[in-house]
Amino acid sequence: MAQIPVQTIHRDPQLFYWILIPITVVMILTGVLRHYATVLMATTPKKQELPAIREQRSLLRGINLRTNANAISPASFQARKDYLVNAYEKGDFLKEPDKKGQAAPNPMTDPAAMEGMMGMMKGNMAMMIPQTLIMGWINAFFSGFVMIKLPFPLTIKFKSMLQAGVATRDMDPQWMSSISWYVLCIFGLQSVFNYLLGSDNAASQMAQQMGQMGPGAGAQMFGPGVDPDKQFKAEAENLAVLAHEYTLAGVEQRLLETVKV
Amino acid sequence: MSSSLSHPPAHLPPSVALQLSQQAPVTLRNTPSVISSYSLSTLWSAAETPELWTEYENLMLSCLRTGDEQSAGQCLERLTERFGAENERLMALRGLFQEAIAKDDAALKQVLGEYENILAKDPSNMPVSKRRIALLKTLGKTTEAITALNEFVDSSPTDAEAWAELADLYVTQGMYPQAIFALEEVLLITPYAWNIHARLGEILFMAGSTGDSSGDKYLAESLRRFCRSIELCDDYLRGYYGLKLATNKLLTSLPQASRQSKSDSTLPLPDLKTVERLNETATAKLSEIVRRSVSGECEGYDKGEVIAAKALLDSGATKTIR
Repeated sequence: MAQIPVQTIHRDPQLFYWILIPITVVMILTGVLRHYATVLMATTPKKQELPAIREQRSLLRGINLRTNANAISPASFQARKDYLVNAYEKGDFLKEPDKKGQAAPNPMTDPAAMEGMMGMMKGNMAMMIPQTLIMGWINAFFSGFVMIKLPFPLTIKFKSMLQAGVATRDMDPQWMSSISWYVLCIFGLQSVFNYLLGSDNAASQMAQQMGQMGPGAGAQMFGPGVDPDKQFKAEAENLAVLAHEYTLAGVEQRLLETVKV
Repeated sequence: MSSSLSHPPAHLPPSVALQLSQQAPVTLRNTPSVISSYSLSTLWSAAETPELWTEYENLMLSCLRTGDEQSAGQCLERLTERFGAENERLMALRGLFQEAIAKDDAALKQVLGEYENILAKDPSNMPVSKRRIALLKTLGKTTEAITALNEFVDSSPTDAEAWAELADLYVTQGMYPQAIFALEEVLLITPYAWNIHARLGEILFMAGSTGDSSGDKYLAESLRRFCRSIELCDDYLRGYYGLKLATNKLLTSLPQASRQSKSDSTLPLPDLKTVERLNETATAKLSEIVRRSVSGECEGYDKGEVIAAKALLDSGATKTIR
């Protein structure tokens, strides 16, 4: 089998100074700028009103009672259960007692929920706008340049990824175009940002992607669109059917068995 | 800054607090006074850490404890520069500072008025409402403090600190059932806190010692609480101390107790033999702890508690001799 001749392309060394380095520097600078823009734009989380705090914590109290009921005596548990179940069913802890029984408000019209969505929008915008701009800039100035040769062989599948913007069929996939270098920069500068801005910086995209994927469980529980009255009713039911078993029953025997003097 | 600064200073022994506060001027000089999160210099200087601000807060508390108001003021200034005067926690810290430098009750009342102004504007300011309650307690207005705390736990019933404080206030008023209720709430939040179990045992013991008809019930419950606290934490001095006290008391009262009516809701009284064995165990364990801590074999016990345990053992010994 004949040896495939190694492709050589004579490149102007100026390409290196005027394309590769500028793209990298611009990418780093935008990352830093984006970090500070996000920090500046971030709104402090809106403070909760006292009734809202009361509503959440009263529900948590019920959950605490349910999980840790065994620590208190049956009489105390019974008293608390009666009180909480009654209060939950009457809706005493609701933030707006007169709105009891109505459906949960549409999260789109709820101003408190809009606030959170605006925050997310801002974050996304801070990501998207610079990327679009730089992409346009690179497309306008540097499209079609072959910039570097990777020092390792690659299969043909990598061609579309590494040679974006260079429509040459026979070129070895080791050669890289400027747009590909840009894409590589987007994903590869993570550690540079970590070094420059600290590990919890706003420029790193991983955090943002994670944030979009799974908001915390706490947000789910009291998030917009959840009807607190229904939650209270469910908790009341959980409490009502709970079987109580006192931890202190027989503790003195347990202790006498375990303690060695 | 030293490592002891990163823990809340309430439990530091006075000597450590004094040492920290004596080093405060040096510490303050060595840390940069202005850290801005927006300047370019953060790119090459060390980034600010959350620990730094915790240390400032703790240093300030230590300084206030030892009377170094100048350094405390400096800490507060730096914290204010960083977080702004409207920060809830800082409002409470500033109030604490003003309470500490207040010369007389009139000045304290003025601080109280400020707290009430803040709370009128924003009733959900938890740190400041806690400060207000603490100040009411300082001023000796216990009943008002209790009322305020009751409102507080109504709106924030998952706050263990507030419930524990409420229990302490009720104990000072001799309202044991209410104090027991409050401590049970703490237990519902932190079910494995052995110190809370022991504290509840202590209050139950106090309630049982008042001498009314249900005294034995309280004492039995108290005994079991102490048992539970020892079960959760081996060699817990307070637990054994309480266990010995409770068993001593029960040993004198149980023999003449009428056989109680068996009701479903409460546990039956422990039988005499178990109580005797528990008493023996507690005595043995207490003397072992006292012996080991006096000989310096094991560290970590509070000196005052060891002395109290020794006194208890000695009194028990003389009684048996007699």
